Amino acid sequence: MQKKLFVVLSILILASLVLTACGTPAPKDVTLTLGSWRTDDVAAWEAITTAFHAKYPNITVKFDPTNPPDYNATLRSQLETGTGPDLFFVRSFGVGRELFDAGYIASLKDLPGINDTFSAGARAPWATDSGEPYAVPIAAVSHGIFYNKDLFAANGIEVPTSWEDLMAASQKLLDAGVTPFANGTKDAWDINEVVMMQLLPSDVGGYDGRMAYLNGDRCFNDPEIVAAFQQMADLKPYLPAGFEATSYADAEQLFAQGKAAMFFDGSWSIGQIKKDATAFQWGVFYPPALKGKDTYVSFHVDAAIGANAASKNLDAAKTFLAWLETPEFAALIGNNLPGFFPMTNEIPSLTDPIANDFMNFNKQAKGVDIRFVWEKLMDAPTDKVNAYTSLNNNVISVLKGEKTPEEAANAFNADVADWYGPASKCK
Amino acid sequence: MLRTKFNRALTYIVLTVWTIIVLFPLWTLIVNSFKPQNEIFADPFGLPKNFTLDGYIEVWKAGHFGLYFTNSLIVTILSLTLILFIGSMAAYALAKWKSRVSNFLYVFFIAGLMIPIRLGTIDLMRLIIALNLQNTIWSLIPVYVAMGMPIATFVLTAFIKELPNEMFDAAKVDGASEWQVYSRVVLPLMRPALATVAIFNMIKIWNDFWFPLVFIRQESARTVALGVSLLFGQYHTDWTRALAVLSLAAIPLLILYILLAREFIKGLTAGAIKG
Amino acid sequence: MSQANLSKNQKPGLLNTENQRTLTWVLFLLPALLVYLVFMAGPLFDSLRLSLYTGKGYNPTEFIGFQNYIDLFTVPLWREKFFNAVTNTCIFFAIHMIVQNSLGLLFANLLSSDFKGRNFFRTLIFTPTTLSVLVVGFLWTLILNPNWGAVNQVLVGIGLEQWALPWLGRENLALPIIALTSVWQWIGMPTVMFLAGLTGISEELLEAASIDGASEWEIFWKIKFPLIQPVLGIIAILTFVDNFNAFDVIYAMAGAKGEPAYSTDLLATLFYRTGIAGEHPTGIPNMGMGATIATITFIILMSGVLLWLYLSRRNADETK
Repeated sequence: MQKKLFVVLSILILASLVLTACGTPAPKDVTLTLGSWRTDDVAAWEAITTAFHAKYPNITVKFDPTNPPDYNATLRSQLETGTGPDLFFVRSFGVGRELFDAGYIASLKDLPGINDTFSAGARAPWATDSGEPYAVPIAAVSHGIFYNKDLFAANGIEVPTSWEDLMAASQKLLDAGVTPFANGTKDAWDINEVVMMQLLPSDVGGYDGRMAYLNGDRCFNDPEIVAAFQQMADLKPYLPAGFEATSYADAEQLFAQGKAAMFFDGSWSIGQIKKDATAFQWGVFYPPALKGKDTYVSFHVDAAIGANAASKNLDAAKTFLAWLETPEFAALIGNNLPGFFPMTNEIPSLTDPIANDFMNFNKQAKGVDIRFVWEKLMDAPTDKVNAYTSLNNNVISVLKGEKTPEEAANAFNADVADWYGPASKCK
Repeated sequence: MLRTKFNRALTYIVLTVWTIIVLFPLWTLIVNSFKPQNEIFADPFGLPKNFTLDGYIEVWKAGHFGLYFTNSLIVTILSLTLILFIGSMAAYALAKWKSRVSNFLYVFFIAGLMIPIRLGTIDLMRLIIALNLQNTIWSLIPVYVAMGMPIATFVLTAFIKELPNEMFDAAKVDGASEWQVYSRVVLPLMRPALATVAIFNMIKIWNDFWFPLVFIRQESARTVALGVSLLFGQYHTDWTRALAVLSLAAIPLLILYILLAREFIKGLTAGAIKG
Repeated sequence: MSQANLSKNQKPGLLNTENQRTLTWVLFLLPALLVYLVFMAGPLFDSLRLSLYTGKGYNPTEFIGFQNYIDLFTVPLWREKFFNAVTNTCIFFAIHMIVQNSLGLLFANLLSSDFKGRNFFRTLIFTPTTLSVLVVGFLWTLILNPNWGAVNQVLVGIGLEQWALPWLGRENLALPIIALTSVWQWIGMPTVMFLAGLTGISEELLEAASIDGASEWEIFWKIKFPLIQPVLGIIAILTFVDNFNAFDVIYAMAGAKGEPAYSTDLLATLFYRTGIAGEHPTGIPNMGMGATIATITFIILMSGVLLWLYLSRRNADETK
């Protein structure tokens, strides 16, 4: 309660500061552009920026997204030539950090309230090692398996409570002529981020387990990693017949059209699936751990917004950033974009039932953790393979039957140990 | 006689098969843009049963296609005119000026064909900012004209070199200046080669979205290619709309081409590159 | 006035005939040269310089001499990526050279004779060329889709289930298939150019041969083919240059990484990923190495073109 009061107060103070700064005579009207990779969410962001404009009538924010594959390159070319947007989405960890170190993102160490609104853990992906923040965390995403309730009922299947159960259920579906899972490998990233890295937290034991790898106490081909690759091999017979050429969008459609019973995906797809899967009842569950293991949820820090250090309207941009700390924004993003979860300490109640189901995973699980390779393991020198790419390639090799789980784990370990200091003894 | 008939039949068979291969994807594009999403997957290749214009209406509302087309047309037409004009002048000099300098320049021009233009993006952007052209369609024209030079000089020079020398000599004897030879003799003869260069560049310019993407943030200066790629990203999982976007991108140029096809093919084959 | 006098008298000076002619040619060249220098050659050659530097972002500042070149050929990861891209690019080019140009020649030959519907076919053959790659890529990906694509539905329909493959997901199939998609789009170009060449052959020559009893086949190979050699040369070199820089169709159908497993990675996608976009998901570009890849691609292409120029000049001299 006190925290909330503090936030509100600090925002009032900031607002008055801004008002006095732009001050008398009447504040000038400014338009800020907000760069993003979320082309899917144009309508929702327009609602959010409209709400902001209602609060600050002299500032207009224009949401201006770029297609995800082009986002990094265009943003960078614009920043390097001084034409970047005033505000932009910042990727977590190394990628965003690199832009900050190069001087393109304004420091937010003076942004009022940032330390109180967000926990240190929530700020860390967008802060220097000494804790200097440079972007305001706006959303985390969760993961899960969307499932077709009608198909489950028709085949007498309950929501499984262990990986073994899940596989048995898949076999049952397959025997009944139903494709169990919709996922494919054509786009590569999805099998890595929403399947493999969804399973890994339970396999390695959440945050503590991941830290043991990062510290060099465990090697990347230990039995837990092999088990995760084995799960991929387990999945193979249950993927669509042409999974190698099935893209992420195809997979979503296979599920939405009722042609596949389950779909490994992220919470960001709630809106999409709601719109497309209208012919049957569906729900979501978290993939259960192997028997004898606890379930940990992959709850990932996804996006933050930073200000362009070279923006001509840095003050107005910071006004917007401060507004992102308010409960009003948290409720707006949580409800306008179901499946994106505010990262504030105080989480507003969410209206979307499926979004609440995702939040419940966190409560039921032993713990939550971010995606396995995001922290440190992607910062490879340019002539080495980073852990993301290596994991991705090896997962696909296992699915295509080119490598056994052990071979894949060994190859993954070799790639990481090749450059990641703490893992050097794993060579 | 029998042989001729057989040949004719074979011609029709080959061309009909190819016609199907060409038209089938276009058919898929257009019929599916009038179907609701579910029907696209249930019956991807038949005529729409639940005819809908939703995709088009939604997409037309979300983007400003009228504006995008105007922008693309201005950029394409101005760039093409400049490419053909200054490119053909240069090609004439490169073909007829016998000197080391022109040999070197010829190679220098076509060298531009061989480096991915994206490599120069940052330098180009600094230049555009220095000229204060960013966020306008005028930023695109000099870049496209420059991009068109290698192919223009390459094709046109090769063409002029193939023209018989007597034509030039006759004009020279009549006391014509180089400019007169160029404008009265060479330009009219060059029509087919100019058409080739125009078509090559038109497709590249009309469909380029890289430079609009980095040069232009203002909605009012977007081109069709940029608008389409952004809308396509927005609707990539909404197939009715995605297909409507793609149809809107494809159809105007398609119609324009079909209207001009006769002229174009005639222009190309009229003068012909003599063997 | 004085100008005319000078040239008549052939006095040595700035404006004698020779210099005047040179001046004319320079004026003809100047507009093109200026635009090309400022907006293309300058920025490009300045960027090739970056291959001698290293650092993150688009403006690397740390000078390292030829280290990028050495790395590209000696560091296993780079060498593997680079030679993979070179091989794929050669295959991609070869498919265009063989399939696109022989089909184009076939179509041009068919379309050069007079028959009902000729204009329809002539229009049709060039139609796909007017489409954007975004459209072409999306449509063919849809048609080849393993789950609801037409190709596999037809194959299953006629009982060839074992041939209903995930076309774009197989490492040995994806590249040829994408190349054929690109052939589908661009075939109009060689067809129309060949057509122009064939239309230029005199009717009398062909009639005479026909009266002498030569078959269509003989007429084609003995008369038409030798006469369109110059066109063939231009088409060959354009195919070479265009496809060694091919990027759009791969980007649209297989992404910047050349999926599956880099089997469709070309020199241009490797350059884009390395120098412009950075690898997913880190996205930190290495412009120094990107420029190195571009420079080497440039050298390969330039040697090809110079060889072509040399050969065509020698050919021209021989025929004269």
